[in-house]
Amino acid sequence: MASLYCDYQDQEQQSTTNILGAILVQLFPRDEIREPVQLAFRKAQMVSGGRAARLPDLVNILKATIALLPRVCICIDALDECLLETRLKLLKSLEEIVKDSPNTRVLLTGRPHVQDEVKRYFPKAITIFTAPTPGDIEIYLKEELSLDPTPTAMDNELETKIMSVIPEKISPM
Amino acid sequence: MQSIGSNNTNSGNVTDSYNNTTINITDQDNQIKQWLSPLTPQYRHQSVQNARVEGVGEWLLQKSEFREWRGSRGVPGRTVLFCYGDPGVGKTHIRLVRKSPGQQGITDRQRYQLLSC
Repeated sequence: MASLYCDYQDQEQQSTTNILGAILVQLFPRDEIREPVQLAFRKAQMVSGGRAARLPDLVNILKATIALLPRVCICIDALDECLLETRLKLLKSLEEIVKDSPNTRVLLTGRPHVQDEVKRYFPKAITIFTAPTPGDIEIYLKEELSLDPTPTAMDNELETKIMSVIPEKISPM
Repeated sequence: MQSIGSNNTNSGNVTDSYNNTTINITDQDNQIKQWLSPLTPQYRHQSVQNARVEGVGEWLLQKSEFREWRGSRGVPGRTVLFCYGDPGVGKTHIRLVRKSPGQQGITDRQRYQLLSC
């Protein structure tokens, strides 16, 4: 599993090239990935002063090698937090990378408004509306209450009330 | 000897050729990783993992859409899953959802497979 968390505070550094580079860093221990990456690196070093990694090279390496690995899951979290231009380039690159690799899975998360963009590159993508269920909130509350630093400050009645009211109010599901 | 030292600034403690080779390989791997990307998602990954509460989001694993996505034979185009929702609903933690340890009939290996899609 190779993951990347997009962050709106880091948009400048989170270019498509750097995002795919970070995916390759995580897959780097695999020989299938390491060898072509080393080759590309050496080629880049031969250019005077050294050349930065280039998007088409990284896409080609991933495209050619990912199908050789048993199963890779590429996760990109918070697509909406990267710049529109980056997002479109990233989706286009991912589309190219996984096109001929049925073993690879891509997991994307984002706010509802990026769905149209995802569908533009992956018209058949599976979509799931994500929101905490009342069960999720109950589990979370129990955990938080068990860590309460002053447990005696709350009586059973209040605890019961918290457990019944909050999950109902918060969960949209 | 001086020329070797000046080409490799990290080899100050090297005493024999075997060690020298090992250090050079590690050096180059690190150089390549830096060349690939300055981003460091592993730190964020650690904090997300620490913040998650076991059992939250298990409903996702039961959903037919999720099962289809992670099914062993990828139907073209259906290998991409997009989880959408408003800020703060827990999308970031989705990828770490796994069956809780207490659940019957699940081996560690299967649990790991769920975690890694």
